[in-house]
Amino acid sequence: MKISLNWLKDYIDLSGLSVDEISSKLTMSGLEVEDVYNEYEKYKDFVVGKVTHTEKHPNADKLSLCKVSTGNNEYQVVCGAPNVAEGQKVIFAPVGTLIPKGNFKITKAKIRGVESVGMLCAEDELELGNDHSGILVLDGNLKEGTKITDALNLNDVVFEVAITPNRPDALSHIGVARDLTAIFNKKLLIPEVKLNTIDEDINSAASIEVNDKLNCPRYTAIVVKDVTIKESPDWLKTRLTKIGLRPINNVVDITNYVMHEVGQPLHAFDLDTLAGKKIVVKHYDQETKFTTLDSKERKLEAGSLYICDGEKPVGIAGVMGGENSEITNKTKNILIESAYFNPSSIRKTAKDTGISTDASYRFERGSNPNITRWACERAAELIGSLGEGKILKGVIDVYPDKILPKQIEIRYSRVEKVLGYKISNEKIKTILKNLEFKIVSEDENSLTVEVPTFRPDVEREIDIIEEAARINGYDNIPEVSKITVTLSKKFDASEFADKTRMTSSALGLFEMINNPLQNDKTASLIGSKVPMLNPQSLDMAYLRTSLIPGALNTIAKNINVGEKNVYLFEIGNVFNKKIDGDIKSFNDFTETTKFLIIISGKESLKSWQNVEKDIDIFSLKSIVNSYLYDVGLGDEFADIYNIEENTIFDLYYNKKLKTEVIGEGGRVNKQTLKQFDIDQDVYCFEFNIDLLKMIEKKPKKYQEPLKYPKVLRDFAFVFDKSILYDNIVNFIKQEGSGLLKSVELFDIFESESLGKDTRSLAFSLEYYSEERTLKEDEVEKAFSSLIDKITKKFNAKLRG
Amino acid sequence: MLLEKINTVVTDFNKDLSQVTDLKLLEEIRIKYLSRNGLVATLFEEMKTASKEEKPLLGKSLNEMRNTITSNFNEVKEKLESEDNKQTSKIDLTLPIQNKILGSKHILTQTLDEIKSIFKGLGFSVFEGPELESDYNNFEALNFTPDHPARDMQDTFFVSKDFLLRTHTSPVQVRVMESQQPPVRAIMPGRVYRNEAISSRSYCMFHQVEGLYVDTDVTFAELKGTLISFARQFYGQNLKYRFRPSFFPFTEPSAEMDITCYICNGKGCKICKHSGWLEILGCGMVDPNVFKFVNYDAEKYTGYAFGMGIERTAMLKYGIDDIRVFFDNDIRFLKQF
Repeated sequence: MKISLNWLKDYIDLSGLSVDEISSKLTMSGLEVEDVYNEYEKYKDFVVGKVTHTEKHPNADKLSLCKVSTGNNEYQVVCGAPNVAEGQKVIFAPVGTLIPKGNFKITKAKIRGVESVGMLCAEDELELGNDHSGILVLDGNLKEGTKITDALNLNDVVFEVAITPNRPDALSHIGVARDLTAIFNKKLLIPEVKLNTIDEDINSAASIEVNDKLNCPRYTAIVVKDVTIKESPDWLKTRLTKIGLRPINNVVDITNYVMHEVGQPLHAFDLDTLAGKKIVVKHYDQETKFTTLDSKERKLEAGSLYICDGEKPVGIAGVMGGENSEITNKTKNILIESAYFNPSSIRKTAKDTGISTDASYRFERGSNPNITRWACERAAELIGSLGEGKILKGVIDVYPDKILPKQIEIRYSRVEKVLGYKISNEKIKTILKNLEFKIVSEDENSLTVEVPTFRPDVEREIDIIEEAARINGYDNIPEVSKITVTLSKKFDASEFADKTRMTSSALGLFEMINNPLQNDKTASLIGSKVPMLNPQSLDMAYLRTSLIPGALNTIAKNINVGEKNVYLFEIGNVFNKKIDGDIKSFNDFTETTKFLIIISGKESLKSWQNVEKDIDIFSLKSIVNSYLYDVGLGDEFADIYNIEENTIFDLYYNKKLKTEVIGEGGRVNKQTLKQFDIDQDVYCFEFNIDLLKMIEKKPKKYQEPLKYPKVLRDFAFVFDKSILYDNIVNFIKQEGSGLLKSVELFDIFESESLGKDTRSLAFSLEYYSEERTLKEDEVEKAFSSLIDKITKKFNAKLRG
Repeated sequence: MLLEKINTVVTDFNKDLSQVTDLKLLEEIRIKYLSRNGLVATLFEEMKTASKEEKPLLGKSLNEMRNTITSNFNEVKEKLESEDNKQTSKIDLTLPIQNKILGSKHILTQTLDEIKSIFKGLGFSVFEGPELESDYNNFEALNFTPDHPARDMQDTFFVSKDFLLRTHTSPVQVRVMESQQPPVRAIMPGRVYRNEAISSRSYCMFHQVEGLYVDTDVTFAELKGTLISFARQFYGQNLKYRFRPSFFPFTEPSAEMDITCYICNGKGCKICKHSGWLEILGCGMVDPNVFKFVNYDAEKYTGYAFGMGIERTAMLKYGIDDIRVFFDNDIRFLKQF
């Protein structure tokens, strides 16, 4: 919201206070000044110049050589504007002036060989408008040498103030001035309204009927007759344009003026267009259509509050007037509405219709029910003071149940308990009085105040504490660094995920964060997706069911920019719907934290030391197992391979804890890769972190290093190729005797010479005991017995 | 007799040694003379058969012989070894290597880790909550009335009438307080969603950390102390800051904390919108209405809460000017941190 400093000064004496001081104090007491537009600073160097002579530039057809007088001095200026002419009053920028557009400083210059001292300005160069067709020609009566700030009334400072939704009272100049009176402990000057009325009584000219008292607790109106609709006087237009409003005509401008003065939205009806000279406030029980004064037809839900005349709707209450009753050039007699509407009713209508006006903005946040009369009288007074129209005697004020100020008790001790420091009782009282809270009663411990009705946000003791705190300044609250000892064991819900992230990066993976909102196709790949009711776009219409699709998109994007070797991980939540209909409870869907490892490209790059190697399924297995060992889950799970046809993977395996799948993955199949436009193999494995973190981790325990020597043996067998390594190694471990502590596969060899469909697997075995040195012959016995067993069991042939 | 042998061995040794050109030959000489069964040892063995009278003299000679041989041997050995080292140093050390590939946590995770470790040091626990939340936890229990204008500030993604993607981490406050009585001291990091058009300044999701401390005597002064301590640890010791009154439905009084813009040192720049200040977090004293919702005694307990955005913090800290790069997951970006 824009607040003009010149306007503000009508209500508070700000002499001796700098713009910076005012703006920073406002910010520090809750009305944040986001921007300060200091017109005076911007234009202080420009002056009115008189063009005393022009001639063609000797060296350029399109340029003129001008003499410009500022009264005391005459300057030679080269000007490119086609409209420059002798006798004109223009805006002259002397050397040293900063030009707003482009932010450059005028210097003495030679233009095509001729000296130019200063510049004649176009409207757009001063950011006063968009016109650049020629220089701006001023009123001929202006005296040369006059500062532009005076000549064009460019001497205001406009604050852009961000008003939080709880402060409807501050949506006006008087409202902001009121906070300033509390901050600087000054007096608020509210203009006194003096009405010169004619004898005719308002009740003979109009009547008001409120049928929906709930949504319209108060409706006040005043009537002005014989008005001439015309342009507003300059002072009024200036005030409105400074705060960004477009002047329309005297009546509409005055209603806007009063709204920005005191915060009460007003609406002027053309009284002669109101059937039966009557206003009826009511709602319809069915949907209705209505054309607002911006000539748009609106559809309103049943129950929306309307302002009607004797026959039909003439305005959407609190939101916008109707085309059928608006002020036109022919309007003679007007009725000014000044009402208080139920905020939630206006809010609902504004939301339904998608209209947000200055009026609805204020009504839906809560206007002051007890200012309506002052506001419409003020508007009538201003119209009268322009010499326009006759104000009828009296107002019509339908206000059956007066809204009374709330009373709140504040305990001084509570202020201290919440804030942690004491604001003196006197200080609290002064602050509240300046904010127009009335002290009803008090004793040494507490205070009872009446809350002005323009402060709907103040309802409880804590709200009053905030008033005292913010006006006294948060800066004055001490900084207490009292770190109390926590007695209970500290809890960290993210510990396991954090450990997972640490291990993953140690394993060479980079963490990614993908958008969980996906398009239909991506979200449909796995599981049962959750649709959004109000998606931002079709690309983000569903919640992800798995981390895999999003990661495949990321891989595709990276390959596109030439990054073909990707080692990534992600930890994030995935969502699956459990029912067909609407989600009504937490049982209708699952939200699970998943951990994805995904790799593609080369495992090692070609160099003078290394040979190039592609990532393969064993690269994936290695990372997966290393991860599990590092987080203390190395021996928990059974690997299950290729158990079923899988829609995503062509090589597939999973890890199970008893019957529960804890993670799964493998090589992504070609169809899926094609869908993501990926033309290289991708391997991934997705864990359920929620399950992983529940499994009890083996506590780490010290083991004494082995004190006795190990006995090493190797053997190689030729096996039928159909026999899985897993079966062989398990057999060896099982049959190898208690002394066999480790079995490692160290070579795989295939050759026609060994026989068709066979392979040779070579193992190295470690025998040892933690208690003693083993004897050669006991190892030999175990070793040869194992060889016999393997030969028999697998029909295998010992090599060499 | 033995004396002669001794002299011969010394002479032979010196002759052999003079012909040694590399360490391999030297080793052969060591085996010939100085090993367990070498010539020197053999002579010592022979001394055992000598007469009592001869022994002192022989012993002395033998020792002298051994010392001479050993010292000559070592002299040559050192010489050869140093030459050998010079050979080795002819390897081209400028050859390139491939760095071991170390992965990394996302810069947002790293930023959050830093924030977490500061608050953990101040005695806060870490709690988490779901992203798909109920309207009740996200709004109602946090004192947003159904038609509260503050809901205008939050454009929400709904999945049904009563369920939505949480718009802030504050619903975790409700969950934590519902699950235990005070004292509660926790931070609650997590992902949140807003239905905002995607641009360099805003994204449909981002991350927050929420903080909450409720006990019998928690004050605004303590809130300031805690947050200043955090900001100093995170942004630097000499930082300037200010607390500005603001509004949140679930805190009263409410504040926003600004720190001096460290891009321009408070002089005013594009990043701080020429104000010289950067807003880093929102905070306040827990509104008594929230205590009512979670059945805490609002007369007995007071508490403070705060919340900050991770993306914004990381953008400021690392000079990132487009929020979208966090979620593009371009390897060239990820590898930078």
